[in-house]
Amino acid sequence: MKTLRYGLLTAMVLAVVAMVAIACGDDESGDSSGEGRGDTIQTIKDRGELKCGVKQTQPLFGFKEADGSVVGFDVEFCKALAAAVLNDASKVEFVDASNAATRFELLASGEIDVLIRTTTITAERDAGRAVDFAQTTFYTGQGFAVHADSAIQSTADMEGATICVQSGTTTEQNLDDHFTELGFDYTPLGGEDAETQDAFLARRCDVWTADQSNLASRISAFDNPSDFRVLGQIISKEPLAPGVRDYDSEWKDVVNWIVHGLIYAEELGVTKANVGQMASNPPNTTIARLLGVAYEGGAVADLGFGVDPQFLQRAIAAVGNYGEIYTQEIGNNIPRACTLNALAIDASVDCPPGKGGILYALPYR
Amino acid sequence: MTESEERLTSTTAPTERHGQKVVLPPHRQRAARPYQVRAANWLRINLFASWDRTLLTVISFAILGSVIAFVVWFVMSYANWNVVTDNRRLLLIGSFPHGAEWRLWVGLCFVFTLAGASYGMWSKLGLRDGLFIVIGSAFALFMILHETSQAWAALWFGVAVVLLSVGYLLCRLVPREEGPTRRVATRVLGLLLALSVPIVFALLMAGPGGADANELSGYLLNLLLAPAGIAGGILVGIPLALGRASSLKAISWTCTAYIEVVRGAPLIGWLFVALFILSDIIGGDLIVRTMVVLAIFTGAYMAEYIRGGLQALPRGQYEAGHAVGLPHWRTMQLIILPQALRISIPPIVGQAIALWKDTALISIILPLRELVGSSRSAIAQGEFITARIEVYVFAAVMFWIVAFVMSRVSQRIERSLGVGQR
Amino acid sequence: MAANPSPPTSLAAGAPLIYQRRIRRWAVQIVYLAITAFVIFYVVQALGEREYGFGFLNQPAGFDIGNQWLVDFDGTTSSRLTLFFVGVWSTVRVVAVVIALSTVLGVIVGVARLSPSWLLSKTAMLFVELFRNTPLYVQVVIWYAIGLFGLPTIQNVVNIGNFLFLSNRGVALPWPHEQGGFWGGADWMVGVWVGVLVIGGAVALKVRKRLQNQEQATGQTRYPNRIAMGMFAGIAVVSFFLLGMPVYVDRPIIEGTNYAEGMAVRPEFAALTLGLTVYTGAFIAEIVRASIQALPKGQTEAANAIGLSNYQRLTLIILPQALRQMIPSITNQYLNANKNSSIALGVSYFDLFFVANIISNKIGHAVEIFFMIIVTYTVLSLSISLVMNIANSRITARDKEDGTRTSGLRQRLIYALRSRVPMGETS
Repeated sequence: MKTLRYGLLTAMVLAVVAMVAIACGDDESGDSSGEGRGDTIQTIKDRGELKCGVKQTQPLFGFKEADGSVVGFDVEFCKALAAAVLNDASKVEFVDASNAATRFELLASGEIDVLIRTTTITAERDAGRAVDFAQTTFYTGQGFAVHADSAIQSTADMEGATICVQSGTTTEQNLDDHFTELGFDYTPLGGEDAETQDAFLARRCDVWTADQSNLASRISAFDNPSDFRVLGQIISKEPLAPGVRDYDSEWKDVVNWIVHGLIYAEELGVTKANVGQMASNPPNTTIARLLGVAYEGGAVADLGFGVDPQFLQRAIAAVGNYGEIYTQEIGNNIPRACTLNALAIDASVDCPPGKGGILYALPYR
Repeated sequence: MTESEERLTSTTAPTERHGQKVVLPPHRQRAARPYQVRAANWLRINLFASWDRTLLTVISFAILGSVIAFVVWFVMSYANWNVVTDNRRLLLIGSFPHGAEWRLWVGLCFVFTLAGASYGMWSKLGLRDGLFIVIGSAFALFMILHETSQAWAALWFGVAVVLLSVGYLLCRLVPREEGPTRRVATRVLGLLLALSVPIVFALLMAGPGGADANELSGYLLNLLLAPAGIAGGILVGIPLALGRASSLKAISWTCTAYIEVVRGAPLIGWLFVALFILSDIIGGDLIVRTMVVLAIFTGAYMAEYIRGGLQALPRGQYEAGHAVGLPHWRTMQLIILPQALRISIPPIVGQAIALWKDTALISIILPLRELVGSSRSAIAQGEFITARIEVYVFAAVMFWIVAFVMSRVSQRIERSLGVGQR
Repeated sequence: MAANPSPPTSLAAGAPLIYQRRIRRWAVQIVYLAITAFVIFYVVQALGEREYGFGFLNQPAGFDIGNQWLVDFDGTTSSRLTLFFVGVWSTVRVVAVVIALSTVLGVIVGVARLSPSWLLSKTAMLFVELFRNTPLYVQVVIWYAIGLFGLPTIQNVVNIGNFLFLSNRGVALPWPHEQGGFWGGADWMVGVWVGVLVIGGAVALKVRKRLQNQEQATGQTRYPNRIAMGMFAGIAVVSFFLLGMPVYVDRPIIEGTNYAEGMAVRPEFAALTLGLTVYTGAFIAEIVRASIQALPKGQTEAANAIGLSNYQRLTLIILPQALRQMIPSITNQYLNANKNSSIALGVSYFDLFFVANIISNKIGHAVEIFFMIIVTYTVLSLSISLVMNIANSRITARDKEDGTRTSGLRQRLIYALRSRVPMGETS
C-alpha cells in the first residue's frame, strides 16, 4: 500500500513536470494551428476543393437528387465561390448541413469553409456563435402554411392550434414571441425538418411554420400543391445569408463580394452568355472593374482581395448573374420580393428579373 | 421440454419383436411409417396435443395470419416501391463517383470470396444457408435489374456469387485436421480477414478516380463504418480489459473510469463528440473521426466482455503459465488471451451486431449520409413525400439482412467452439 | 504490463533494480500515468480555446415545447436549465413505462418461445429475430409514420363513448384530477390523501407480515393477503370521503383541434415507447428463454410429477427460479433502454438529449452540454442499477437459509457499480 502511495506521488510530480514542459513548448504550435484555421482561402487552395455546407432536403435551395448530385439556389453560390477561388466550379464538396442543430458546429470545427443553407442572420448568432455573415442572398420572412380546406387565414385564427416548427431555428423563437404578444395559447410540435413536414401532411398539426420561401419551395415540389395554402402573412424578417467562420475577414470579404458581384452583374446586364465577350471588350469602366480586366489599355484594377481580380468574372462565367441563378433554380415557384414591405409572397408583386428586386449591390470600386 | 426432445420421445414408439417391446432407432421408425401418418402425428404432437395447446395454436395462427396478411397487403398493394427503385443508387451508394462503380464490384467480389472461404475453412454450408444465399441473391438481382437494363451489374454480381462458391469449395478441400496445409491456409485467410477493412478502403479510394472520403455515403457507408468500428473496438478493448484486470491500481482505475464514462452516455452522444469536440483534438476527416468514436465507444463494451472472459478462466491457467517460466505478458499472449477471447466471442459478436445497427444513428447527428440519411433525401423528393414508410422498411430490411447473417454466424461459432456446453 | 518474470523469492537483494518486482511496478505505473497525464493535458489544451461556463443555463429558453405531463413550461419565462430538467423528466417517463411494458412483453414472448405449440414458438421466434436485428431508430420512425398516416385525423376522430378518443394527435383517456373536494379544501388535499394511502399501505404490509408469521408459527389459516388488502381498501375509501373526495375522474373532450381535459398520450411518446418496448422486449425474451432453458430438467419433471398444471408449473416453479438468474442481464437491458431513449429526436419527442441538442445549437457550449448529458444518463443508469440491485437482493435473500443479504445503501451502490456487466446490446 505504501509503495502504491509513493508511486502515485512520484507519478503526479512527473505528470505536473510533463504538463509544464508541454505548456511551455506549446506556444508556437498553438499559434500556427490557429492560423491554419484562420486562413480559409489558403486552406481551400491547398485542399483544391471548397467545402460548402448546404441543405440536402429542401427543394429549390439545397437538394440531393436520386443520382447523388446536389442542386439548388444555395448550391449555385457554392459553385460560384469554387470558380472564383479555384477556377473550377466543380471543385466543391457539398457537406450535408440539413440538420439545423449542428450547422454552426460544422463551421466552427472546420468541417466546412462556408455555410450556405438558408440561414438567417441574427444578432445572437453573429455575436454568440463562431459565425460571421456575408451579404444576404435571399430575403424572406416567417410564414405559415395550412391545408387548403382549413379555415385559418392568419395567426389571428390560430388560438389553440397545434403548430409544426423546426427545432433549433429562429422560427421557433419568433413563433413564441408572436404568440406571447397575441396572448394566445398554442401547442408547438418541434422536430427535425422532415418530421415536422410529415406531421403537417398527416394533419398532426394544423399549421406549419417556417421561412415562407421554405414552405413555398417544399409545397411547390409536392405532387398536389393545390391541397395546401401558404398564408399571405409573415411575422418576421428572415434574411438568409452565407456564413463563414469568425476572425477571417479576408475570406468573408470574398464571399461577401461574390454575392454583391453577382447582384451587380445582374444590374449591369453581364450574363453567363456574354461575360466572355464583355471581358474581352468591356463596354465601360464599371464592367471592366467588375470583371477584373483592363479598360481601353488601362491597368487592371486590383481591389486587394485575397484572390486575383478576375474572380468575379470566373464566378459569373460558371453560374451566371444573380437573376440567372434565381430564374434557373427558383423561377416562378417563388416570386422575387421587391421591397422590404412586400416580403410576403404575393403573386401580383413580382419584380421582373434584371431589376434586382429587393437586393442591390454595394458599390464595387 | 424443448420441441426437439418432445418430438424425439413421441416418435420413439415401441415395436413388437419376438414378443418383446423393442424401441427402434428413430431413423428406422421414420422409414417404417407412411408419410401421411407422420404428418398427422407431427400436427397432433406439435400443434394440437391438448385443448390448451390447440387454443395457443389457434391464437398464434390468428396473430401470425393477420400480420402476414397485413405485410402482404402492404408490400403488394399499398406501398409505392418506386421510392426505392428510383433511388436505388442514392440509397445504396449515395454520391459514389460515376464511372468508378467497378471498384465497388471488385470490393464486393473480395468480400464475398473471403466470406465463402471463411465458411469453407471453419464451417459447412447447410441447406438453410444455401436457401438464404439463393433468396438473398434473387433479392439483389431484382434490385439490380428492376426496370433497368444493367446487365453488366448483374454480371458483376454473378461473378461475386461464383467467387463466393469458389472460395468456399477451395477451402473445403483443405483438410479439417490440424496439419501444415491447414496451418498455412488458416494463417493466410486470417491475415486477409484482419486486413480486409483496409483492403476494401484501398479498393474504393486508392489511386486516381477513387472515391473521396466525402463521396462515401448510402448503405455503402454503413458497410464500411461498422467493420472499421468493430475492428477498432477490439483493438481498443483488449488493452482496456487487460488494464482493468491489472493488479496495478493506477492502470486498473483509469481503465475502469474510461469504460464507465464511455458506457455512461448513449452512442449519439458520442457522435456529438466526433463533431463538436474531437475536431479540436485530432482533426482529420469527419469520417475518420467517426470511426475513432465508434472504436472508442465499442471498445469500452468489448473490454467488458473480454474482462468477463478473463474472469471466467480458472486461476490455474495463470499459474500454469508462470510455472513453465513464461513472463507475464507471454502468459497473457499465449495462454490467457486466446482462451478469454474464445469465451467472449458470442458477446463480442453481439456487440458487433449492435454497432452495425447503431450505424443507423450516424446521420442523425453527423453530416454523413448513410442509409438512413439517404432515405431522408429520398423522401424529400416531392413525389415521394408520402412514401416514408416504404423507404424506412427498405432500410430496416437492409439492416436486418446483415444483422441476421451475423447472428447466425455467431451461433455457429458458439456451437463449434462449444462455448455453451461448459 | 508489469509483473514477476519469475517468483520474487528467487531474486537476490543485489539483482539489478529493473528485475525487482516492486521497482518495476512503480516504474510501469509512473510511465503509464505520465502518458495518461499527457493525453489528458493534450485534450484539455486542445479544448482550451473555447469559453466555458454554465451561465447560459440561466437565460430564458426563448421557445416553447408545449406542456408536458405534470409540467407547465413557458419558454418566455423559464430558463434553459428548467428546459433541460423538463427533458430529463420526459426521459424518465419514457424509460419507466418501457421498463414495465418490455418486461411483461419479454416474459410472455420468452415463454411462448419455449411453448410446445410449434406455431406459437415460431411466432415468438419471428418476433424476436425481426425486432432484435433491425435498428431501433428505424423501427421507431416506422411506428411514428404508421401512427401519423395510419390513424384518423382529429377531424375524423374515433370516439368511444366520449370516454376515449383516438386520432393521430394521440389517445385521450379519462384521468384523475385533484379538486378542492366538498369541504371546500385546497388542491393540495390530494397530497394529503396520497400520504394517507402510503401510510395505510405500509401499515397493511406490516399487518400482513405479522399474520404470515402467525400462520407459520401456529399453522392456523389467518388470511394475511385478504385482510391486508381489505385494510388498505378500507383506509383508502374512508379517507377519500373524509377528505372530501379530493380527486375526480376527468373525461377527455375535444376543443377545436386539440384534446383538452383528461389525459392525452401523444403519438410521439407512443411511438418512442412502443418502439423501445418491442425492441427491449425482444432482448428480454431471449434472456427469459435462455434462463428457463438453463434450469435443470428435473424442475419441470418434478412439477409434472406432483400434478401441477402447465400454468402452475410456469408461475410457481419455472419463472421464479429463472427470474433469479436473469436479473443481471435484464438490468442491462433496462440500462440500454435508458440510453436508447435518446433517439427520441427522431420522433420529435423532447427528451433530455433532444433538449440538450437544441440548447447547444442555440448557444454552443458543446463541451458543457455533453458533460451534462453524460452525467444525467449515468445518474439515471445508476438509479436503475440500484433499484434492480435491491430487488435482486430481496429475491435472492428469500431462499437463502442464513438470510445473508447485501444491505446498506453504500454496499448496494458499490454492488450496483460493479455488477454493470453488459449483455448483448448497447447505445
